[in-house]
Formats: sequence, structure tokens, C-alpha cells
Amino acid sequence: MAGAALAKAPFSRSANETEAASNAVSVRNIDVVFGQGPHAVTALSNVSVEIPQGSLVTMIGPSGCGKSTLLRAVADLVPVSAGEISVLGRTPETARRERNFSFVFQDATLLPWRSAIDNVRLPLEVGGGGTAHAEPAELLALVGLKGRENALPGELSGGMRQRVAIARALVTRPKILLMDEPFGALDEITRDKLNEELLRIWQETGTTIMFVTHSIPEAAFLGQHVLVLASHPGRVKEFMHVDLPYPRRLAVRDTLEFVQITAKLRQLLEEC
Amino acid sequence: MTDIVHRGVFVEESRFNRWVEAVRYRWPSIAAVVGTILLWQLIVWGFSVPTYMAPSPGDVLNAFRTEGGLLLRNFWPTLGEALAGFAAGNLTAILLAIWFVHNRTAERAFFPIAVFMHTIPIIAVAPILVLIFGNGVTPKVIIAAMICFFPTLVNMVRGLKAVHPATLDLMRVLSASRSEIFWKVRLQSSLPFLFAALKIASTTCVIGAIVAEWIGSSFGLGALIIEATYNFRAPLLYATVFTAALLAVCLFTIVSIVESRLITWKAPDVH
Repeated sequence: MAGAALAKAPFSRSANETEAASNAVSVRNIDVVFGQGPHAVTALSNVSVEIPQGSLVTMIGPSGCGKSTLLRAVADLVPVSAGEISVLGRTPETARRERNFSFVFQDATLLPWRSAIDNVRLPLEVGGGGTAHAEPAELLALVGLKGRENALPGELSGGMRQRVAIARALVTRPKILLMDEPFGALDEITRDKLNEELLRIWQETGTTIMFVTHSIPEAAFLGQHVLVLASHPGRVKEFMHVDLPYPRRLAVRDTLEFVQITAKLRQLLEEC
Repeated sequence: MTDIVHRGVFVEESRFNRWVEAVRYRWPSIAAVVGTILLWQLIVWGFSVPTYMAPSPGDVLNAFRTEGGLLLRNFWPTLGEALAGFAAGNLTAILLAIWFVHNRTAERAFFPIAVFMHTIPIIAVAPILVLIFGNGVTPKVIIAAMICFFPTLVNMVRGLKAVHPATLDLMRVLSASRSEIFWKVRLQSSLPFLFAALKIASTTCVIGAIVAEWIGSSFGLGALIIEATYNFRAPLLYATVFTAALLAVCLFTIVSIVESRLITWKAPDVH
């Protein structure tokens, strides 16, 4: 496989360069298989998707559809069995080493002995630190935690901890933000608030965002596009454009257009 | 409601009142201790128990006064052995745990040996070590170390592995090296587990030193226990036992204080 890639190198390089201008992430015909032999489980089968630069794509699907696996494959946390993923024209591994993307987990995964601001600083202290970085204090202000810089995670609410995790993800000034059900464990009121704030941060930073969720309203409210995945095996059902203007406020969810979009998504998911 | 008002008033008032509050909170344990001592005194009086069999609390207190010098002379060697054993045993356990966590083969090779060593009664090891190292301090320190070793090893391995999988994913996304993961994540998250073991070790190291002193030793609290027993000096025996217990309690308290200074964060996963 390495030989084939080498032979194609001159062509694929130029292809990648033009593509890098338009697509932040491009996934081509990937399979992800866990385990071997008779116990092998196909998590993703022949998945292809193009994520335009600067876009916000939400990913939704029934459990077991591999939406998290797809995100983890882009993040180089899961190896692909076949096909190719290109992140800004690089392999996921190179993109990871160059700090081109950040990952936000469902769990805030803060180090409980570090204050909020020290948690935000963590990416600058490990793995070579990366080249570009933002001011941790400014990021905490951006996520609405001004004045709580020295609080320990144990002293913060679940919503606040997730805000710190978002600030930490932004500290390396990533071009891509990968979010795996980041608000899944939060109550609805907190989730709504963070949804609105994420849109604001997205527009202020111009970061490409891939956002996995299991909530239909969340997928429709946040996404410029919604990637709908079907399960067993995980595959692309539909890549749907959400025709609602930004900036979106929470009230948009009470409009007829929004309800029509969620109805369409619900219908797609039922077919999965 | 009245309780809240009550507490509010106490905050405003003097240290004496806080002391009263503490006594109010602890009175059951204080009463239990005082009651036990009284009962002990009454039994000794009531049944006319001879002093060589069981001394009264007054006799023991008297022994502390008259034999204070003897107790103190034998206290220092035991303290030294216990502390040296505590340091050596825990340090070995911690280093071994770090090795085990980074090398699966080492863990598989040596962990069974560690378990086997732990199953040998310490009292059976003591004579062997006396044969090898003689009557000096060395076998005592080794036994105190051995008794500390196993709980710390097990807890430290558990603590170093008790990192949330998502945290390890995070460190991978950040391209952190193994040593960075160790210093920034594993070591810190192992601390609650380590201190749980150190608290056990702080009392068992004293037991180790004393048990070692029973076997052919001319100094230390352990030797004094044997000597007092054979000479029917019951008040001295009791005073020695209390001294040893007091030493263990002091070490335990010190470890607890260090723990509360070092771990100021909440560890939701450790019980």
C-alpha cells in the first residue's frame, strides 16, 4: 500500500493542494474494522465525505452507526482499514503532530488537580507545544469563564467544565475542531446556551467544526450541513444542507423551516 | 433552623467556644476512652488482679514516669528502623510500580513473586534475616520495609493505571510522549491511591520493626516488650505497648497531614 501511495505521489500531491484550499477534511472510501477473524466488527463501510473549510458539519445517526468512530479516525485515534483520510492535505497523523486539529470529548477530561487556566495551558506544555497559540486567559473569557481562571474542575459545574475543555481545544489555534458529543451529558438549558455560544465562537474564529451529536435539534441548529449515518455497518445515508441563515438564535427552533428540517432528519433516521 | 442560628453564633465567638464545639462533636469517643479506662481500673480493683498479671491504669502511668528514660532509649531505635523501613519499602514499591506500568513483561514476570513474598508470614521471615544479617539494625529495617512494600505496590500500580481512557485519548491527540503522560497525568492521578497505601504503611512499618526486634535483639521497643514480659514487669510492658501505638498514630497523622496538603483536589474515582 505504501508503494502504491509512493507511485501516485506526484499526482496526489497536486490534487491535495488544490483540495486543501476548499476542503478541510476529505474522507474517501474508508472502512474501519475492529478486531480480526470471525469476531471482526465493521464499524464503517465505504464512507466518503468532504468537509469544506470553515464549515460546521454535524454528524448524526442511530447508535452503532460509527459517527464517533469516523471522528476518531479523522483524529488519528482509530486506524482505517481501507481508504484514505486527508486532513488539510495531510495524513491524520501528520495533522495531529502539526496540531492542525483539536478534539473535544463528551467528558470534559480536565485534569482535576489543575486550575481552569492551567488545564487550558496543557496543550502548550506537551507534544512539542505547537507553533501558534492563543492567550489562555482570553480564551476563558471567550467561553464566558472570566474570573474563574483559578477554579479547580471540582469547583465548576458540568457546563463550565465543558467550556474549559473548549477553551483548551482552541488554545493551539486549530484549523479544525472535532467534537464528540461535547454537550451530551449536560442538561438541556446548559446545552442550549452552549450551542449558541459555540456558533458565536465558530463565527469569531473561522474554525472548521465537525460535531457528533445524538440530538436531532442540536444537529439541525448548529450544522451548516448534517451528515446522516446509517448503522450496521456504518455508512453515509445523506449529506444534507441546512438552509437557515447565521447567526442563528435559539428562537429559530420555533420556526416552521426548522421544524421541517428536523422532520426531514427524523424521517431519514427512521429509514436507517 | 435553630441549628443554623446556633452555628452562626459560634462562628462569631471565641476559640474557647470552638473547643467546646469540638468536644461536643467528639464526646462519644472521649467518653468511650474514659469509660474503658475506668472499667479497667474497676476490674483490677474489684477482682484484686495482681499487678504482674494485669496492671491498673495508675500502675501504667506510674511506669511511664519511673521508666521514662528506659522507654525513650528503646524508642529511638524503633523509630529509626520504622522510618528507614517505611522509606525503603515504599520507594522500592513505587519504582517497581512505575516499571510495571511501562513494561507489561516485567509486571507479568515479577508480580507473582511479589504476591508470593506477601503470603509468607513476616514472623517467619524474621529469623531467616537475622541469620543472614545478624543482630544489627539491617534485618529490622528490611522487615519493616517488606511489610510496607506490598500494599504500596498494588495501590501504586492501580493508581498509575487509573487514568480515564478519554484523558489518554486527549494526550494522544496532543501527541504527548510517554514521559509527558507519566509526569503530567499518571503520577498525579496515582497520588490518592499512593496515600491510601502510605497510611497503611505508616502503622505497619512500626509493627514490622517491633516484630523484628522480638527475635534476638537487645534494643528497641520490641526487645523491651520481650524483656518486660519475661520479668513479669507488666506496667512496663503496657507502657511499652502504648508507646509503640502512639508512635504508629503519630506516623499515621503525619502522612494524613501531608496527604491533605498535597491533594487539594477532589478525586471522584477514588473511594
